[in-house]
Amino acid sequence: MNLDGFSRLAGLVLLIVSLSPSYLAAQQKPDNCVGCHTALGDERLAEPAKHFAEDIHATKGFGCVSCHGGDASDAEMSAMSPAKGYIGKPKGTKIVEVCGRCHSNARFMRQYNPALRVDQVTEYYSSVHGRRLKESGDPKVAICSSCHRTHSIRPPSDPRSSVHPLKVADLCGSCHAEAKIMAQYKIPTDQLEKYKKSVHWTLLSVKGDLSAPTCNDCHGNHGATPPGISWVGNVCGQCHVVNTELFDKSRHAKVFVQMGMPGCASCHDNHQILQTSDEMLGLSEPAVCIRCHSAEDRGGKSAAAMRTLIDSLGKEYDKAHSILLKAERSGMEVSQAQFELSEAKTALVKARAAIHAFSVVVVKKEVDPGLQISAKAHTRGLKALEELGFRRRWLVVSMAIILALVGAIVVKIRRMERKEQ
Amino acid sequence: MVQWSMGGIVDRRRFLNWFLGTTAGAFLFTVFYPISRYLVPPKVQESTSRTVTLALKPADVKFNTGQIFRFGSQPAILVRTPAGELKAFAAVCTHLACIVQYRNDLNHIWCACHNGHFDLNGLNISGPPPRPLEQYVVNVRGDQIVVSKGA
Repeated sequence: MNLDGFSRLAGLVLLIVSLSPSYLAAQQKPDNCVGCHTALGDERLAEPAKHFAEDIHATKGFGCVSCHGGDASDAEMSAMSPAKGYIGKPKGTKIVEVCGRCHSNARFMRQYNPALRVDQVTEYYSSVHGRRLKESGDPKVAICSSCHRTHSIRPPSDPRSSVHPLKVADLCGSCHAEAKIMAQYKIPTDQLEKYKKSVHWTLLSVKGDLSAPTCNDCHGNHGATPPGISWVGNVCGQCHVVNTELFDKSRHAKVFVQMGMPGCASCHDNHQILQTSDEMLGLSEPAVCIRCHSAEDRGGKSAAAMRTLIDSLGKEYDKAHSILLKAERSGMEVSQAQFELSEAKTALVKARAAIHAFSVVVVKKEVDPGLQISAKAHTRGLKALEELGFRRRWLVVSMAIILALVGAIVVKIRRMERKEQ
Repeated sequence: MVQWSMGGIVDRRRFLNWFLGTTAGAFLFTVFYPISRYLVPPKVQESTSRTVTLALKPADVKFNTGQIFRFGSQPAILVRTPAGELKAFAAVCTHLACIVQYRNDLNHIWCACHNGHFDLNGLNISGPPPRPLEQYVVNVRGDQIVVSKGA
């Protein structure tokens, strides 16, 4: 091996050793940064040191110098000399660079979290935030520390994290809901208010379903960008697969693109996505079809027909369900009928999804079997109630016989007593 | 007059005796009938509120298949996993209560209504279902498959 090869190998060994957790842990002992910053009595200087102990980086053995550079073993001001790699308080692109030094290094990150993505920096520079920072040097755009904080960084799964699903909406809203901050960008500030009226926020905040979408699930997190009109359906389709597939095959899919309408959001809105109901379909308020269709055109007639089908199945299902419930509460055995009626419920849910095909034939295909099942279950419920009436009538008859028997016994006893006298 | 009165008393007495005898017989019948039906029970289905014995033999349930059965008034699904284990779950999707089914091409449980996916432990792994499916206990007793709700 020549000298050049040897120096390369030595450099590689040095790099691996310098990146090992034990080396990093050894580097921060003794940690004079925390010692001085907490002892100086200046709250502004003490604040970062106080919070950093709970930061995920501290728990993995990283110290102040891992980001700020310098020498933690030096108790003098010389610890913060540029000669020792001290970079001070990074700002703007420098912060992205500092975070990316480790987070974009697949080999390095694998040691701590092999499943963690390492393309955050690339994604960030594809976002509106990143593009503005890079292209126009806008100092107000969000950077890593705007969302993840600086010295109390925790993983998103930690409820105390600033990027926990329950906190993301307010986090984004801390800038996007502020008219003063957004004024120069000329973008609306009502997204947070609208989102908090949506079914997604209700699922997330009230039902505690952390899989319900928040800002980053539709806009991307590091690559945050508004979804394009032509691909908004793909975003919704991540969860609403069946509805999206039906919509994509429908005539509306092409027409919406031609008209510049944002797919799903045309009827369901984008941020204020409310709980859907059958009333959204048809030709009277609050139906969404009337935004484009009238009672006279073909689409309007289809909408009215689909609504009639859905309503008919809904009513027949409710009728059968309530009569079976009444029979069950009266003590009748109707479990087989209830079991069979659950197929009608499935048919109703499928029919509601099928309206995204915007075809009466497709909806009817789901509704018809449901109607048959409901009718059969309703008949069985009626029979159970008839049987209940029969039993009650004969209970009255038997009670009358018993009472007559009691009366006859009384008369007989009296007669026997009189005879004895 | 006396004869008439005596005849009336005799008739009433006979009627009362007949009535008492008949009703006493009916009373005894109502007492002994349930006892006899208890001793010789009719062929009715067992209560399926907590336990159900399936009309299936374990050997008839093929690997990587699932089938719906009635558990009380609700649908449930019996699955034989590709590894051969028998498992049972409530077949009601936790999203909007559609009946789920087993997909042998996916090797897991699937809901056709909104494309919800559940793994072979009943866990919701994809799509809109917010919660796992309720899992039941499956016991094989000889040639019988008995499914019951956990404690």
